[in-house]
Amino acid sequence: MFSFVIRRILQALLVLLVVGLVAFAMFNFIGDPIDNMLGQERTQEDVDRLKERLGLDQPFVVQYAKFLLAAAQGNFGVSYEQGRPVADILAERAPATLELAAVSGVFALTLGIVLGVFTAIRRDGFWANVIMTLSLVGVSLPTFLIGILLIYLFSVELDWLPSFGRGDTVQIGGWSTGLLTTSGLTALILPSITLGLYQMTLIMRLVRSEMLEVMRQDYIRFARARGLSERTVTFRHALKNTMVPVITVTGLQLGSLIAFAIITESVFQWPGMGLLFINAIQFVDIPVMAAYLMMISVMFVAINLIVDILYVAVDPRLRT
Amino acid sequence: MIEAIKHAPGRIKRALDSDFFWKFRRSPVAVISFAATFLLVMSALFAPLLATMNPFDPASLNLMNGFTPPVTPSAFTGETFLMGADDQGRDVFSTILYGMRISLFVGFAAVTLGLLIGVTLGLISGYFGGWTDTIIMRIADVQLTFPSILVAMLIFGVAKGFTPPEYRDQLAIWVLILSIGLSDWVQFARVVRGATMVEKNKEYVQAARLIGRGAMPIIFRHILPNVLSPVLVIATISLALAIIAEATLSFLGVGAPPTQPSLGTLIRIGQGYLFSGEWWILFFPSVTLLALALSVNLLGDWLRDALNPKLR
Amino acid sequence: MLMFRYAAISALALACASAATAETIRWAGTTDPQTMDPHAVNSAPVLGFLNNVFEGLVRRGKDMSVEPALATSWEPIGDGEGWRFTLREGVKFHDGAEFTAEDVLFSYQRASDEASDTRSWFAPVSGVNVIDDFTVDIMTSAPNPIFPDSIANWMIMDSGWAETNSATLPDKENGNYATLNANGTGAFMVTDRQPGLSTTLTPFGGWWDEAEHNITEATFTPIDNPATAVAALLSGDVDMINPVPIQDAARVDQRDGTKVIRGIEARVIMLGFGHEADQLKYTAMAGEKNPFQDVRVREAVAKAINVDAIRQTIMRGSAEEASQLVSPAMRGYSDANAARTAYDPEGAKALLAEAGYADGFSFGLKCPNNRYLNDEAVCQAVTGMLAQVGISAELDAMPVQNYWPELRADNFDMYLLGWSPGTFDHEHPVRFLVTTPNAEKKLGSWNFGGFSNARVDELLPMVQSEIDDTKRQAMIDETVAIYQSEHAYVPLYVQPLVWGVRDNVELTQRPDNFFILRWVTMN
Repeated sequence: MFSFVIRRILQALLVLLVVGLVAFAMFNFIGDPIDNMLGQERTQEDVDRLKERLGLDQPFVVQYAKFLLAAAQGNFGVSYEQGRPVADILAERAPATLELAAVSGVFALTLGIVLGVFTAIRRDGFWANVIMTLSLVGVSLPTFLIGILLIYLFSVELDWLPSFGRGDTVQIGGWSTGLLTTSGLTALILPSITLGLYQMTLIMRLVRSEMLEVMRQDYIRFARARGLSERTVTFRHALKNTMVPVITVTGLQLGSLIAFAIITESVFQWPGMGLLFINAIQFVDIPVMAAYLMMISVMFVAINLIVDILYVAVDPRLRT
Repeated sequence: MIEAIKHAPGRIKRALDSDFFWKFRRSPVAVISFAATFLLVMSALFAPLLATMNPFDPASLNLMNGFTPPVTPSAFTGETFLMGADDQGRDVFSTILYGMRISLFVGFAAVTLGLLIGVTLGLISGYFGGWTDTIIMRIADVQLTFPSILVAMLIFGVAKGFTPPEYRDQLAIWVLILSIGLSDWVQFARVVRGATMVEKNKEYVQAARLIGRGAMPIIFRHILPNVLSPVLVIATISLALAIIAEATLSFLGVGAPPTQPSLGTLIRIGQGYLFSGEWWILFFPSVTLLALALSVNLLGDWLRDALNPKLR
Repeated sequence: MLMFRYAAISALALACASAATAETIRWAGTTDPQTMDPHAVNSAPVLGFLNNVFEGLVRRGKDMSVEPALATSWEPIGDGEGWRFTLREGVKFHDGAEFTAEDVLFSYQRASDEASDTRSWFAPVSGVNVIDDFTVDIMTSAPNPIFPDSIANWMIMDSGWAETNSATLPDKENGNYATLNANGTGAFMVTDRQPGLSTTLTPFGGWWDEAEHNITEATFTPIDNPATAVAALLSGDVDMINPVPIQDAARVDQRDGTKVIRGIEARVIMLGFGHEADQLKYTAMAGEKNPFQDVRVREAVAKAINVDAIRQTIMRGSAEEASQLVSPAMRGYSDANAARTAYDPEGAKALLAEAGYADGFSFGLKCPNNRYLNDEAVCQAVTGMLAQVGISAELDAMPVQNYWPELRADNFDMYLLGWSPGTFDHEHPVRFLVTTPNAEKKLGSWNFGGFSNARVDELLPMVQSEIDDTKRQAMIDETVAIYQSEHAYVPLYVQPLVWGVRDNVELTQRPDNFFILRWVTMN
């Protein structure tokens, strides 16, 4: 077991190195930061000088090596756009993304389980079919369109909810939270729905199929035969047994919630890491892009690692 | 036609009599969504016959027709458009038909690409295990890290450098296919790998190995057919996802060119007119995309239930 | 527990702050000013924003005319050796330090340093001499009649403050104290700066000029998605947005509570050609001569484009047709050459046939898709109009971060460009776009197509040093006549300015698209 974990951690490090290499190879193709950094009246001489100063005249392998060396000492560089350490910027932006991901995760999980159970116990009922079909509407339109339509309906036409941003935030230590103010909470509603809709549908469908499977098992039949109420059977026995796969999938999806908040954040001008990343692409802010990608890959690799280790712990046959 | 089917011996008849087809006919959702998908695919295929104009030919556009509402004659030219005209004076109906062709082509091609790569790597990974498996799964990790927009931008940049100028206008489409296909293969690989690991320990595989069959024949003749039904389900859902992903990439600025718009590009352009009152530029492409993705999704849903032996 | 108490106090502080919202203005634009350093970056979002915080020796009024600011008067020295500025006395920086001639010298050194993007403004300057505490001589290497006009955005920074905070030079790559903090003499102080998120300004009590505004606090938020910005304005989450997408202007205007303020920007949108290239880069008929080297083909392009149709549909009537590289509001606009090549598709076909391209040809048109208002749609329309006279453009639209490198690498046959003269003078686009590219003399640095005309090159230095306005205008008129008859560029239209505000906001819109807070009143 121990050697397995060590081996996986070493592999994970290798994955990170490759991610970085690929990232640096692609930065050359995203565009050129120079024009954003120099004004309209720049000369070719200015361009060449700045390129040299930033090390952009060197091959990407050299740029990558420099990045790695600095990163190993905890220095992720300075943003081209903001002229501040990337680590500071990421730390500032992380709470917004994490809170959004957490709230949409909770939304997806709660509603997903409730609707999943409902559609499972009323398998062929009218409402169950309506919900099953409607939930697919949510995943049949691009996220950006759903976001814009929600803004149009709830902010512009009905004027119930804010159209952009996080509302008022409160600083607790280094963490800025929107969870403690009314405006912060209302600002969370639309983006969380937009971001969580896809995961909600996924969880709902998973719960439904797991429930349907569990309900056919012998022990549920026994429970019914023993005269337990339908409610006890459903929640105490059936639902409990569907939770393991649901939790696994939710854990894996948490990563994608954070990684793919990019679209939602850009539609709602949500000041998180996804918006930072989109702006960084537009500005060709290489240090920000590099640090963001590394962070996302650390997260994915860590989640995969934990899942794999859990599987091995549960199923000894997988130990090789 | 029906006569022919009735008398067709063997395969077709067997298919029509099968359990699968019986289930299909019994499910109104499946029949309706199949019919809708079929109708949309056919109208995309025969777009030149159905469309009133070729929206991809810039010479045929009259800018003064721009923003003409549905079924109202244009104030300048008197022309009438069933679903209105967009900002360039393009007939929205015709543009949707042509755009759907591109979306469907991108979707099918991307899923096929993802499926081929994913299934092959999944089989190899699951069957051989060990270092092969480790390397393939770590590549999958790297792949998962990159948002598809970045993959699209990378491929676009690289491709630009290597494509001769005269082929550049087709470039965006191939970039979309490659980048969506590449971000798609991991889920095929993971599912197939898992299924393969279960199958390879079953007796029939052990038996085949004992009589000395090679790895490749075992993988492709014996294991592949047994892991195909989850692949079919994923492929269907991926098709819907790929069509939507194409729209999202377009929103982020790496989509089909505006002169040859896909459904996604049309929606991206149309969302700029949500507040201004020219609702038809956004509405009709969105409804078409919704109908397409929804019917494919419903079909996939039904397939999942129909092919899942545990739910019988 | 401690954490909770802290949170409660912050929440209380927030509640108090938002109680006094009567004169708080919240505004949004597409781009965050990337720095608070007025010399680090020469870009409109930065200079426009910092005009509220810093001041120059001169400033521009509501009609763009130059008026006294930190200098009360100025006069030429001798025979055009330079300019003498008399400084305003009793001016204080936000931190209370006094403004003197030392700060002007320091700001010259800082802004003209290699590390500074604003360096090119000082190319004509040979030196700055402090005469006394409130008199400064700025010497120029040649007579420079428009020098005072060209320094309205040169902002004065306090030398003592910069030294104390080790920010004597701008540092774009690593940032320094001046990147995040500002200490100007302007009407507003930066009180909170969260890069990329929001920036808050409050009025400076010790400002030398009389306040016209009634703002107590102003907060800027960048919103890049135009639809989101419109939604924010319509739902009352912000009080002002710039720009309103042209198509949404009517809606914003009609709705209760919001209105649109329109104007004409200084920016002219034009098509450029690859003059220098001997062959087309993007064509099906590889190896043939570049048709755009033939002036008849360039004229045909000018005739083929129905600018009025673009103006009416894509621009919804809010743009103005352009005949030259500056708008009529700019200094040096040539009234003698105010007529634009008329839309004449038949004439265009005839010219093409005459030039030997009766069957047309194909070429590549490059276009940005997020730089100018509706740029991509305009390029699409241009493609259609050119197709109608028989030449087929293959449109390649891309985000601006990919666009400039493509132009610099000469990867185009034709391209779209917008130009806003930083000095509000016709000399500016001539210097950057029309003169033969010459890296050493810093000429023609945006003349990507390499247009070259010996007479224009000869005229430019004469224009630059001519003091007499009539003679100067005659030279400019000659330059314009040349670039018009050569069809060096095809000017399309002057870009409109469309701002959206809540009904209770009164403001002044300047053609340079700067949002000047000191002219804002909230009712």
